[in-house]
Amino acid sequence: MVNGKTTAPLLLTCLVLCCLLAAAEPMWAGAATAEPENWQKEFDDVCSKTQDAMIFSQQELKALVDRCDALEPQIARLDETRKKVYLKRLQQCRGLYSYVLESKKQESKK
Amino acid sequence: MNARILAAFALILVLASPSLPQSFKKKRPLPYEFGRVVLGSGSTRTGLAPVVFEHWFHRARFSCRVCHVDIGFAMKTGETAIKAADNMRGYYCGACHNGKMLSEGRPVFEACSKNATADDAARCERCHSSGKPLKLENEFAQFARPFPKERFGNGLDWQQAEELGIIQPADFVKGLSIKRKSLSIQQDFALDAKLAGMPDIIFSHKKHTVWNGCELCHPEIFMGVKKGASRYTMVSIFEGKSCGACHNTVAFPLMDCQRCHSTPPVQR
Repeated sequence: MVNGKTTAPLLLTCLVLCCLLAAAEPMWAGAATAEPENWQKEFDDVCSKTQDAMIFSQQELKALVDRCDALEPQIARLDETRKKVYLKRLQQCRGLYSYVLESKKQESKK
Repeated sequence: MNARILAAFALILVLASPSLPQSFKKKRPLPYEFGRVVLGSGSTRTGLAPVVFEHWFHRARFSCRVCHVDIGFAMKTGETAIKAADNMRGYYCGACHNGKMLSEGRPVFEACSKNATADDAARCERCHSSGKPLKLENEFAQFARPFPKERFGNGLDWQQAEELGIIQPADFVKGLSIKRKSLSIQQDFALDAKLAGMPDIIFSHKKHTVWNGCELCHPEIFMGVKKGASRYTMVSIFEGKSCGACHNTVAFPLMDCQRCHSTPPVQR
């Protein structure tokens, strides 16, 4: 029979292990297998419009730049690999919107 | 012909001359070496040979955008700082080299597995092959046979090869690429050569956007927003800026002058 003195630490150890397992990202979780998380859905939506950058208005471009800025801290909290991949991609996508916005502003000044 | 143009051509000829001392002149890569990237910093620390990446092999299968935007490879050697763990997680090389993706009906070999054994050495050495006398499975000569030929770089006309259907670079990798609408066709445009008698440049915006997308070039490579405000000089291009980011390393090299300077000379 198991007494209370041994059960409590055992349960605590199990609880800690479960928490660690839940938090850890498995090494085999490939890019293609994981369910899209909220940040990823937002990233895909924001950065899927780059080919239309030239036809957006200044307001639309500004909104896209703001959405990129809001995503950055969320991506910065990811594991090392995804942080590296997606921060670079976000930088490219934000850079383009900001670049086109700037060129439209200059054109409108003429 | 203008004396300055003659001097420019003479300089290019001198730089291309094989009699120039090696200490002064960089050796011109052979067609199968052109575009080759050697990545070493991480692997040598773990006792593995540096990775030899054959750019020609991969560009035949994927658009520039897939690798340099969707997968996230930097445009400069070593800037990505790829680690084995990144590949194991299914990113960078591991996005395709995962033992699952099919290419020409065969699974693409897995890169950097966690539990590699001595039996895996041959697989590791398919990439970690610098300094090893390994024969590429896909010989360049055999690969290049159906291609229309060009004079420099890989000696291949990649653009025409695509038009003829010899290559069909994929523009999507499952799990990493974002589904996008197809790009609206961009108009080609002319750029002044800024040198009397030098043919103007016809820039194929259409071809560049189809292969690269917009965000690969703007603003990282071409940052000026005001048309005509940025000055592009041959010196800066030879230093790897603007056009030189690709055209000297992986795309047709800068000594192939008339592929860009392609309009008839204009009298100024």
